[in-house]
Amino acid sequence: MDFRSYVIRRLLLVVPVLFGVSVLIFGLIQLFPPYQRAMLYVTDPRQMANIDEIIELYGLNATIWEQYITWINQVFHGNLGWSTVVGMPVTDAILTYLPATLELAIFATPIIIIGGIWLGTKAAANKDKFIDHATRTGAIIGWSLPTFWFGLVLMMVFYGYFSGFLPPERLSTEMSVLVHSASFTRYTGVNFLDGILNWEWGVTFDSLRHMILPVVTLSVVNVAFIMRLMRSSMLESMGKGYILTARAKGLPENMVINKHARRNAMIPVLTVSGYLFAAIVNGVVITESIFNYKGLGWWAWRTALMLDIPSILGFALFSGVLFVLTNLVVDLLYARFDPRVRLGGTI
Amino acid sequence: MKGLKFFFYHIRRNPLSIIGLVLIVTFAIIAIFAPLIAPTPEGQFDSYMIPRDGYASTPEPPSAEHIFGTTQGQYDIFYGVIWGTRTAFQVGFIVMGAVLVIGILLGSIAGYFGGIIDEIIMRITDIFLAFPPLILAMAVTIALGPSIQSVMAAIIIVTWPSYARVIRGDILAVREEDYIEASRSVGSSHLRVILRHVLPNSIYPVFIMASLDIGAVVLTAAALSFLGLGVPEGYADWGQMINFARNWIIGTSENTFAYWHAVTIPGLFIFFFVMGWNLLGDSLRDILDPRLARR
Amino acid sequence: MNKLVEIKGVSINFYTYEGVVRAISNLDLDIYQGETLGLVGETGCGKTVAALSILRLIMPPGRIESGQIIFYSNGDKPTDLLAIAESKIRTIRGSQISMVFQEPGAALNPVYTIGDQITEVILLHRKQELASKALITLDKLLVERDSLSTRLFRPARIIQRRLYQRMSDNPGTRLLGFVERTPIIRRFLWRLEKEAEQIAISLLKEVEIADPYRVIKQHPHQLSGGMKQRAVIAMSLACRTRLLIADEPTTALDVTIQAQILELLKRLKDEIQTSILYITHDLAVAAEICDRVAVMYSGSICEIADVVEIYKNPLHPYTRALLAAVPKPGKKLSAIKGFVPDPLDLPTGCCFHPRCKNARDICKVKEPIPVEITPGHFVTCYLYDGEKLENSG
Repeated sequence: MDFRSYVIRRLLLVVPVLFGVSVLIFGLIQLFPPYQRAMLYVTDPRQMANIDEIIELYGLNATIWEQYITWINQVFHGNLGWSTVVGMPVTDAILTYLPATLELAIFATPIIIIGGIWLGTKAAANKDKFIDHATRTGAIIGWSLPTFWFGLVLMMVFYGYFSGFLPPERLSTEMSVLVHSASFTRYTGVNFLDGILNWEWGVTFDSLRHMILPVVTLSVVNVAFIMRLMRSSMLESMGKGYILTARAKGLPENMVINKHARRNAMIPVLTVSGYLFAAIVNGVVITESIFNYKGLGWWAWRTALMLDIPSILGFALFSGVLFVLTNLVVDLLYARFDPRVRLGGTI
Repeated sequence: MKGLKFFFYHIRRNPLSIIGLVLIVTFAIIAIFAPLIAPTPEGQFDSYMIPRDGYASTPEPPSAEHIFGTTQGQYDIFYGVIWGTRTAFQVGFIVMGAVLVIGILLGSIAGYFGGIIDEIIMRITDIFLAFPPLILAMAVTIALGPSIQSVMAAIIIVTWPSYARVIRGDILAVREEDYIEASRSVGSSHLRVILRHVLPNSIYPVFIMASLDIGAVVLTAAALSFLGLGVPEGYADWGQMINFARNWIIGTSENTFAYWHAVTIPGLFIFFFVMGWNLLGDSLRDILDPRLARR
Repeated sequence: MNKLVEIKGVSINFYTYEGVVRAISNLDLDIYQGETLGLVGETGCGKTVAALSILRLIMPPGRIESGQIIFYSNGDKPTDLLAIAESKIRTIRGSQISMVFQEPGAALNPVYTIGDQITEVILLHRKQELASKALITLDKLLVERDSLSTRLFRPARIIQRRLYQRMSDNPGTRLLGFVERTPIIRRFLWRLEKEAEQIAISLLKEVEIADPYRVIKQHPHQLSGGMKQRAVIAMSLACRTRLLIADEPTTALDVTIQAQILELLKRLKDEIQTSILYITHDLAVAAEICDRVAVMYSGSICEIADVVEIYKNPLHPYTRALLAAVPKPGKKLSAIKGFVPDPLDLPTGCCFHPRCKNARDICKVKEPIPVEITPGHFVTCYLYDGEKLENSG
């Protein structure tokens, strides 16, 4: 099918999926008693004293359909409930903790993608030689590592042993004070950027120093994954006829690999990059909890531990929706760039 | 005979596969002989609860009584990792088994019958796949109340969609083959066709996926326990043991590695267990994948 | 006629997990300038391996065990293609010797346009020429000094001029190599690409593609099988090859398209005076286009002769059986009894002896040597080895 119809079809598919996502979350909500469900509609701690009124107001004893309408209505108004753990509405909590996680993701994603692609290409091009075995072993180790354990070990070595060289959390105490003081404007909430924007380089370096371990922990497992995918994709690509043609044309080997094989091999890897986003959100929960790095993952963990229902389910809804939209963008980009899809005709 | 020749040729080329096999077999032996290796103390009813030697919070280093030492709350690490092996196998096999059953069932129905049934089932998988796995697992675990069963249920819920999709894809490919039409034309019922023709030809990739995934399943379960969302306190589970150790990684002021045993030992068990399955799955895939040139 | 390529005693083995496959044993073959030599044989007899060996494209687990392939290019001294350095043979691949494969769809890279793939080979091998052409255009532009645009771009054009001058004199310098590799500076060489595109368009016209300007911008999947194969042929002729190796180029196409491509090749052969090594399993096609035909069985040549001679007077039992096996209306089908031998376990002596009606004891023991029966007509068979047989008695 041609590009236009592909795009339309893809966009239309998003709707039922988003609907289904909301239904799933709603279903999980229904597993709780009315008292806890009422927490989803609370916007102010003082309201908690009048829980029965809330239950009445939002019809929490009514039929499922009505409850769903009520709930979805609230969601569209941005009200996801109140987070007892951090003492603010869930929506605010998400917005507050998002920049920290974004910071990690900004650094981790290019490392994962570029590192994975590069290692995968090298491994495939030198199949069965030392570098192939070395990277594959590295990949197997990376893929088998429990991220949480790896992070702890890293912290043990770099924070404990090298006394505080790479500390946990986002900022050291002094920088923290500086960031929250009046003279510092938090434009984005992303510390290293804010540091640059305020011309306070100390803040930038400090936040970068704190980010090294979490980013490494986050990246290792995912680099292994991308690398393995890239390697098998490259091997398949290199077995194709156009590679022989390229060699028969007299192209030097590195051009054969980089220009011809890799372009084709990257296509499946790029389609997977949508799932990479999910993997990062996954990893972020564990990583942030280990390093006490106060981002979305850390918040999600604490809320789960404290059985703060609105938060954990609000977060699940948020990541679900975000993930669906990210995949949509990735799929559309892929369609745009793969000429076989973009220009239609027989494949 | 040919298969055997290929098998040995492959082993020679790729020694890592033997390591995988050895690891899994070792763990299996540990799991089976757990009651002999780490006997449950007299009077304790539930073997899966780790015995505590007192209630002090500081972990103790390895000694004659406690071969691997104790962790926070004086839980015996040796007992914990040995019986934790059993937990790992249980979680891995039960979850994988359920995922395979559900995935193959729904995937086959979707793939074989196609049309609207296919669309509906695919949308359902899309919905489940719309969440980052850990987040959904966390949500489900909380909704069902923290316990090892909810952990398993959560992971099953998170994992089955990918399998359904893979099986559906394979069945779609197989369905168009001529022998299916031939079978139907002589009057075989749908069920017979599925069981005798479609499934045997499309099932290999799924099993390979499953063997590669057992490691991931165990890792996710450990992650949930580590976050404190899974098993009850004191249950023999590797993830939980690392959770106990997390406050002690800094060690004392003189010796940062004073409590290394509490962190490292359970972690190594997880690591080698998962690696064993990954290596095994990798080899299985290399052996069974027809696309890799048989050289 | 002068020789172009001389294959002498080439043996190639493939080392698989099941054992050693002797793909080619002691192959001797000569290709003359300007001729079209047909290489005929069943699937699996080693034709493609022989062809790939000329370009030295045998990849592991294949290994060229022995032999020489002497290439007589214009003016230069004869070179053994199996012995020269990798960098040298890369200059020959695609330019002096090029290859067309069986599946045009597989030969083209789906993510690049046809234009990209053709200009790729032109840019690789004809840099000097392209640079000279670009210089002419540049010089014309640099002479004008009137309009705003010429004055604006003048400095850039001067730099370009120096680069192209350097390139047309000596393309291999390190400076040029550096410029070619660096992402942004590389854009200075855009005129080369434009010139190459012009050549590509004229090539596409040569292969009778109707709308070359459009096809240049298209991707392989947008073309039909016949058009793809024409594009591949254009690609192989881009650098004035001396030898075009065509490995069953029409097998994957419809019969009508097959006829068109054959006509095209015949016409090109006359115009460009290139030699063609035409590999096929189809005797009729070989008769159409070839000047000489070599028949191959299990890795060695059984018989070579002029095309008319070999069809009128086939000598080797295998050739005879092949010709007899061609279905003729009214005649009973005759097949060659037996099976193509398993390459892992070739028969001793003459490979054909298990299936040969005239097999004798010596055929099972020792491989025969080629004997010239009439001028230019060689057979490898003990039936025609009269004197030798008496001597070894």
